[in-house]
Amino acid sequence: MRKYKFFVDLEKEERWLNEMARNGYVLERKSGMGYRFENSPAERAVIRIDYRMFRNGADFEDYRALFEDSGWTHIAGTRRSGAQYFKKSQAQEDEDIFSDVDSKAARYKRLSEMWGSLAASFIPLCAVLIMLGNIDPLALLTPADLYYTPELWEKSGAAFWRAFLFETPFALFRGAVFLALPLMVILSAFFSARAKRQYRNLRV
Amino acid sequence: MSRSKHLPLTETVYYVLLALTEPAHGYLILQKIEELSRGGVRMAAGTLYGAIDNLLKLGWIGPVSSDDSRRKVYVITDKGMAMLRLDFERMTHMIDTTKQRLDL
Repeated sequence: MRKYKFFVDLEKEERWLNEMARNGYVLERKSGMGYRFENSPAERAVIRIDYRMFRNGADFEDYRALFEDSGWTHIAGTRRSGAQYFKKSQAQEDEDIFSDVDSKAARYKRLSEMWGSLAASFIPLCAVLIMLGNIDPLALLTPADLYYTPELWEKSGAAFWRAFLFETPFALFRGAVFLALPLMVILSAFFSARAKRQYRNLRV
Repeated sequence: MSRSKHLPLTETVYYVLLALTEPAHGYLILQKIEELSRGGVRMAAGTLYGAIDNLLKLGWIGPVSSDDSRRKVYVITDKGMAMLRLDFERMTHMIDTTKQRLDL
């Protein structure tokens, strides 16, 4: 069975995957937003998600070996993907890959840092494109600026409507492009702050 | 008395350092800790990995070469040993004082 979902919250994602497992659908593979489940009702599997990136392949292998030695099968995740999915079969429901609060909280700290650096890397890109005049997010406040046809707003009657309707799809597209990057910055910063809050909440 | 900001060590860190007075890879560390604590401390894989990562950054443990191509082997460094001793002395002092105060 295949399902498509997008999660920002590791805990919610983990809860959903474990609910699926309890109903007999155990995560088998994940690619992008697609989750593939295998039907194995008797497995009594527990799914846990870690969040970690690795400098090199050897570190990643060492990490996976430690989990596998401890009875956790690595289901999904690559060296740079961040989220790492593990399962343990015939496990107690409260089995975890973390045995203290600090390490469980540190998972959110790493997640928060990733979103933070993503936001930080979009900011200079945004600034350069705005300075070069390639994008103009302020035009979104005055949508007329999204139309580039010379003297469009001085035209009238059929000539106006023809030019206006012709350019509207382009103007909408332009607006979407202008909005995309600043939106990425804002969303990344928001997700970073969210993960940071989860980190703090767990620590007290 | 001025003290290192790292003291007191957490139970996790203390046991990892104690286990690594002999070279060991990840899972062996988990087994040793369980043995050293007489089954009292059962550390999970993610927690241990985070501790190893942290201790490597602090320079309290270091990698040693091994025959195992998948598993890295670590051992305590002089700096790590010094921290372990400091925390041991801190705890010994606490135990001695408690014994005196409570006539144990």
